[in-house]
Amino acid sequence: MKKTLTLAAFAAALLTGSAYAEPVNLTFWHMEQPPHRVQRMQELLDEFNKAHPDIVVKQEPQSWGEVYAKAPAAFAAGNGPDLLFAIPDFTTVLKGIGAVVPVDDIYKELDAKHGFVEATVAPYKYEDHVWAVPAYNMAISLWYRNSALKAAGLEVPKTWTEWKAAAEKLSADGKYGIGLPANKQLYTDQTVYSLMVNSGAADIYADDGKITFDKPETVAAYQAYADLQKLSPSDSTSWTWGEAEACFASATCGMILQFSVINTYDTQAGGDAADLGVAAVPHADGQSDSATISYSNAIMLTTKDKAKQDAAKVFLTWLMEPETYGRFLTMEPGLFLPVTNDGAKADSFWKDPVVAKYKSQVETMVANSKNGKLFGFTNGKVFPSIGAISAQNVIAETLQGIVVNGQSAADAVKAGQARMTEITAK
Amino acid sequence: MKNSTLAFVFVAPALLFLLAVLGWPLVQAILLSFQNVGVIGSEGRFVGLDNYAAVLGGAGFWRAFGRSIVWVVANALVQTVLALVTALILNQKFPGVRIARTWIILTWIVPTVVIVIIWRWLLSTSGGMINPLLVQAGVIDRPVGFFATREGAMTTLIMINSWRWFPFTALMMLAGLTRIPGDLYEAARIDGASALKRFTRITWPLLQPTLMVLTVVGTLLSFNVFDVIWLLAAGGPAQASQTLPVLIYETAFKGYRLSEAATISVITSIILMGFAFLATRAMLTNEAAR
Repeated sequence: MKKTLTLAAFAAALLTGSAYAEPVNLTFWHMEQPPHRVQRMQELLDEFNKAHPDIVVKQEPQSWGEVYAKAPAAFAAGNGPDLLFAIPDFTTVLKGIGAVVPVDDIYKELDAKHGFVEATVAPYKYEDHVWAVPAYNMAISLWYRNSALKAAGLEVPKTWTEWKAAAEKLSADGKYGIGLPANKQLYTDQTVYSLMVNSGAADIYADDGKITFDKPETVAAYQAYADLQKLSPSDSTSWTWGEAEACFASATCGMILQFSVINTYDTQAGGDAADLGVAAVPHADGQSDSATISYSNAIMLTTKDKAKQDAAKVFLTWLMEPETYGRFLTMEPGLFLPVTNDGAKADSFWKDPVVAKYKSQVETMVANSKNGKLFGFTNGKVFPSIGAISAQNVIAETLQGIVVNGQSAADAVKAGQARMTEITAK
Repeated sequence: MKNSTLAFVFVAPALLFLLAVLGWPLVQAILLSFQNVGVIGSEGRFVGLDNYAAVLGGAGFWRAFGRSIVWVVANALVQTVLALVTALILNQKFPGVRIARTWIILTWIVPTVVIVIIWRWLLSTSGGMINPLLVQAGVIDRPVGFFATREGAMTTLIMINSWRWFPFTALMMLAGLTRIPGDLYEAARIDGASALKRFTRITWPLLQPTLMVLTVVGTLLSFNVFDVIWLLAAGGPAQASQTLPVLIYETAFKGYRLSEAATISVITSIILMGFAFLATRAMLTNEAAR
């Protein structure tokens, strides 16, 4: 009897032990700081954690402005996250310190199931591995008001000549025809590169890793940008994304280049969907098609713990299911674009009230994103120095040479080439 | 136990704490400056004095050093003038002087981020308050970007930083003014000294010890200001406001050259320690001469 009781107690202890085994904890850093995005993320995480009692995913929102410094320090101190949002150049930085784990298997399974848009994974595919799972895409478009163009007797500009003429005509009655940033900051990198890809200056590296920034196409893009920037508010030398959106929302700026203005337009500018215009970024007069800059945002696996890696796979698999994925994308409706084929058709995405209201604009954004490129990731090879070139905003710094220091476009681009070469050499 | 031993026992915890939080990082920074570490967490190797040669031989460090000098001197001048006027006013007796003395420190206690948001909004060309006021007053034809030009950005930053810090300086000066015996003013009045004479012959000379202390503390604090410059202008436009602290941050966390940033930090520390040493010695010499 005593033996039976002992065995029963042992069995009970084992059962209890397994029933109350510690769940696997995953820390997830992302840079989607606005409260409504954090809230949507928390709703999704609560749902996942409830359905998976053996895994607990916890979010820790960070800022893009600080994460380049904070993440390497955190990994060095052993306090890094297990999952971390990425843009392509950020991945090269963390890969350089051995913090990123390849996600080949996870990517392969998810690709077979959902079909990734190839352009969104390309910047993360090098050295025979996939370094992050694409999560959403963002592409810069030209935003305007249909009524403003109509009142000025203008068509939607398609070439740089038409664009400049439109911006000049819209610059009246204290309004600015266009709002283009000239800050030494990522937003300016993005908007300048949006013009570079439209003049045939998309590649800043040759196949052998040499910098090929200084070429006539780049000079033409900078000259066109500087000409347009003169028609922008004078404090645009300190603008980030928010100031441009505010300028457009208040109708002070006639046109802006932005990933999306839908949220601010809807909440702060009346939200007349029929009046909101979006088009591809105009191209150089000699070009025939428009292209843009696109950022495939992805999720990196940054833990070497096998149990955590398995848990991360379960989480990412759950997140990419169309019924979940659409809600993930619409944490910022009309900004984050799908990276999977079935995600692009998901009801959970298209039935979001804001996406449904601005359906035609979102469709145009998706179409624009298909012609997206990203500096440093255009020729199928990735060179580690792109992380430092991007972090130091050399593209934007080159523009400030023209706008602030009064250099010619050719001299500024020459100086930009020298800076990039110097960074590459270090 | 001897008095000196007892004193050491009391001071020891604070000294140990300082060694842990200041001494250890400083030693680490010095060690780092002799290596070639790039990104935090990556490995580096010993490179001797290469970083020092590169930093001192490059134009970037000296340009940033020059901007830091401009920043410190301009801030000192603006803050001293504002603070002195404010302290002299607050040293008078008038209704509400106690409330004024309390509320004067408001700009100093408000968090920097809040200050930055307020000024960004006030100075914005689209939606800010200052531009329309200047246009209405006929000072400017159309809204201007206060951070759009090299000179404009530095001047605006100096004014905002001075606006933030002068109340602190004013309170220190006020403390110095209250220590000046009233009898001296009384005697000067009886002798028929004008207000200007009383200021130049009594107030100014007797305020010197306070001003000397403020010069040392203010220079060190001002030299190390990073938050206001970074949050308002990020060292721009075109590096116009890139002082040494900004250069250190950009080199470490944007250029991924941690060892080079550590080298600039070590050089900066030596410069500041040298200044503090010379200034303290000058103060002690002055004290002894009195």
